[in-house]
Amino acid sequence: MKGENNIRLLSGNHAVSWGVKLARPQVAPLYPITPQTPILEKLTEFHSRGELDAELLTPESEHSAMSACVAASLTGARVFTATSSQGLLLMHELLHYASGARAPIVMFNVNRTPGSPWAFWPDQIDSLSQRDTGWIKMYSESPQESLDTVIQAFRISEKLSLPLMISHDAFYVSHAVEPVALPQQEQVDSFLPAYKPELRLDTSLGQSFGAPIDQATWNRSRRETAAAMARVENEVLETGKAWGELTGRSYAALEHYRTEGAGVVIVTMGSMCGTVRDAVDALREQGSAVGLLKVRQFRPLPVQTLRNSLAGIPCALVLDRNYSPGMGGILHQELKSALFAMDDAPRVHGFLTGVGGVNVASMKIQQLVTEYADAEPSVDSVWVE
Amino acid sequence: MDRQPSPLWTHATTKLRNTGTWRSAMPEYRTSLSPCLGACPVNGRIAEWIGLLKSGDVKGAWLTLVDNNPFPAIAGRICHHPCEAVCNRQQMDGAVSICSLERHVGDIAMSEGWSLPEPEAVGKKSVAIVGGGPAGLSAAYQLRRLGIKVTLFEQHQQLGGLLRHGIPSYRLDKNIVDCEIGRIIDMGVEVELCAEVGDHHALQKLHDEFDAVYLATGASRPKALPVLDYSKSWVIDSAEFLTVTNAGEPCRLGQNLVVIGGGSAAMDVARTARRLGRSVKLISLEPEHLLPAQKAEVDEAIEEGVEFVTGAEMQSISKDGDSLILECMRIKFNPGEERGRFTIDPVPGSEFQLRADAIISSIGQDADISRWQSLLDNDGTVVNTDNLWQTSTKGIFAGGDVASMDRFVTQAVGMGKQAAAEIGRYLGQLPSGETGANTSQTGFSDINTHYFPPAAPNQQANLEVEDRLQNFNEVQLPLAEDKALAEASRCFSCGSCIYCDNCYLYCPDMAITKLQRGYEVISDYCKGCGLCVAECPTGSVVMLEDRQG
Repeated sequence: MKGENNIRLLSGNHAVSWGVKLARPQVAPLYPITPQTPILEKLTEFHSRGELDAELLTPESEHSAMSACVAASLTGARVFTATSSQGLLLMHELLHYASGARAPIVMFNVNRTPGSPWAFWPDQIDSLSQRDTGWIKMYSESPQESLDTVIQAFRISEKLSLPLMISHDAFYVSHAVEPVALPQQEQVDSFLPAYKPELRLDTSLGQSFGAPIDQATWNRSRRETAAAMARVENEVLETGKAWGELTGRSYAALEHYRTEGAGVVIVTMGSMCGTVRDAVDALREQGSAVGLLKVRQFRPLPVQTLRNSLAGIPCALVLDRNYSPGMGGILHQELKSALFAMDDAPRVHGFLTGVGGVNVASMKIQQLVTEYADAEPSVDSVWVE
Repeated sequence: MDRQPSPLWTHATTKLRNTGTWRSAMPEYRTSLSPCLGACPVNGRIAEWIGLLKSGDVKGAWLTLVDNNPFPAIAGRICHHPCEAVCNRQQMDGAVSICSLERHVGDIAMSEGWSLPEPEAVGKKSVAIVGGGPAGLSAAYQLRRLGIKVTLFEQHQQLGGLLRHGIPSYRLDKNIVDCEIGRIIDMGVEVELCAEVGDHHALQKLHDEFDAVYLATGASRPKALPVLDYSKSWVIDSAEFLTVTNAGEPCRLGQNLVVIGGGSAAMDVARTARRLGRSVKLISLEPEHLLPAQKAEVDEAIEEGVEFVTGAEMQSISKDGDSLILECMRIKFNPGEERGRFTIDPVPGSEFQLRADAIISSIGQDADISRWQSLLDNDGTVVNTDNLWQTSTKGIFAGGDVASMDRFVTQAVGMGKQAAAEIGRYLGQLPSGETGANTSQTGFSDINTHYFPPAAPNQQANLEVEDRLQNFNEVQLPLAEDKALAEASRCFSCGSCIYCDNCYLYCPDMAITKLQRGYEVISDYCKGCGLCVAECPTGSVVMLEDRQG
């Protein structure tokens, strides 16, 4: 790898904290919540040692944390926060506000089951249920990817004036310890330009934010958001490439793993991708042409790239670690919609696997491929034991 | 970074959005009374002059001060400062040291040689003032400002009354008295010294010659203790003692003195005697915590070696050669509902003796009201006045100790000011009727304390005790310049705009315009959110219900 000799064993959450420290945010309002808390703890540790020159705020709730994020971001500060599950849901109102304000806040969410029943298991419904709030949403598979993505996130978010939420799964990623390559501070500094917005809350500039507007201006603001959203995928790609040139690890909106000549492509997000890689390797070993299409960028959904990636593939299996009551797996819905009216679209099977954090073993995935590769798909998602 | 979306930002105007139609309440800029102003005996605009001091405009601060009180350097030394007892900052980290700041400004004015503003030219109306103490001088000053011809009749050789003859130099240096009185005389007040207005005939004569008379002869008649024979050489009254010692004449009393009384004058007597090398015991009916003197005076007297015998009464005296034996008894003091209406219960079996060479009686002074008996009604204690300070004879006004039991110096100054306004109205020099004063008061909860970082009070130091007893130098030392500015910046400016621009900056609808001095709400755009009120540090914007017709 280029310029890296600092490999450390880090949990996913601590990898995030390292990435944040390297990105030099100026303000970080944070509220603790399991299983996000180690991110906060590590950041406060950096701060107490003088290694993180940021204003760390500890408001009384996540709602206030996100309020502080919006205000700080509008003053032109680089802003980070982290949360999980109930905390994210408490922020809901402000998530709309942040994107409407075009405040480039970077937030890390650790996917966890929302109550009730009360639990702490990995399930992506907390973040997926926020899909219409106007944030860029990315999902990470590993501690290394979480570190790399959080640094890239500031560049993408600030470039397009859109807030960006990255999620990784509770415990499978947040608390699992893996070797993580830490980039050098100079590398990150060269990669991440300082954030200096022209429009900001500054008493010397004489401009204000928050005035009520008429219908047409609100409408126009959303069309401007749409235009910015349309540019996200390319920005994710460019940024991922630049990161690759710096570190040897490139990223894009989607990742293809052994999809060449595949008859079946498994589509999923987050920690399950690792298990799917194992299943793909095993099936390839057995002579089945199976691949993985990992969705790293979920919002905006890279529709055209998904269509291109799956054109001519006979079968796609979608694995959802979430459940939208009344409609099934969310990625399943999204993919069906993305492939709308495509002549050579694959047969799309949707599986509710891993809902509530239950283990999805490699063998289980291999069985699904064997069982459903040639089956007619149902329009509904299928619960998998 | 790409160009940011602009429709979200407001650069100059919100003209297109008539958000004023949403409103159910509207902010109003209002100068409310600060608690200190309400408590101030002269109604000094304290928040305003401290604000000017804070901004570096010392002259402006002084001019604001002398609008109500021509004696800032004097009041800054001896005022009982009820303002500090009600200061909103008390509820945070200690009252602002207002009195010390007043002295600071007053002292600068003296060292800079500032004059009082040029008064109106003298017109046809004339007023005689009888008595050149604080009330009379204050009235003379205010009347002269109104263009009235003022003649001041003073029975002593010098003006000042209690300021000169009653208060020792270690509390109030006489140069200060000369300077602040001199400024008033320089405005064109005619002064007749050694001019006693001895009886009702003399007063009637003034009433005939002048358009109005202001009587401010003070309370110069000592109260007498029945148990004391004041004709004896070893008994002296406090007023006489202080007049003699303040004039620098030698004290002929013996070495061991007993002072009887617990008020401010008793402290002045005891502490003066200590400076003259005497041993002093002070007997008071009141227990220490109920002494009428100010606490600081009592504390300083104790520091200076005055021995307090509180909660005791002297019952008889006998002679033992040259020495006096005072037969005393412990008493239980019941303060009663009103000041002066106390009762005492002797504690049986608590008799004790004190020895002394002389006794100084300091139990208060009465006004000499019998002089005017046939002309002015009285209640047996003071001359009667109505709420306009007018006596029972039309055209004769009275104030200060002769007409009131409020006996602090600055209360007399305040009475002089009020009477001057009433006389001005009586003579048609001031419009009559109500002044329409705003009576809403700013409380602690109206202050946004986020804008005031915690800071302990800056208090003036005192001379070290060992440096006090050798001389009559002032005990209170001035606040240093930096301390004074730090103290001024502790003032919340309760109810007064400090032109901080918070309302202007925080208004989300740009509904506030800046004026030359102050702000204005544009009703077309104010949606009544109240942010300006919440972010006002000083509580000088309030929300009022607005039904919009």
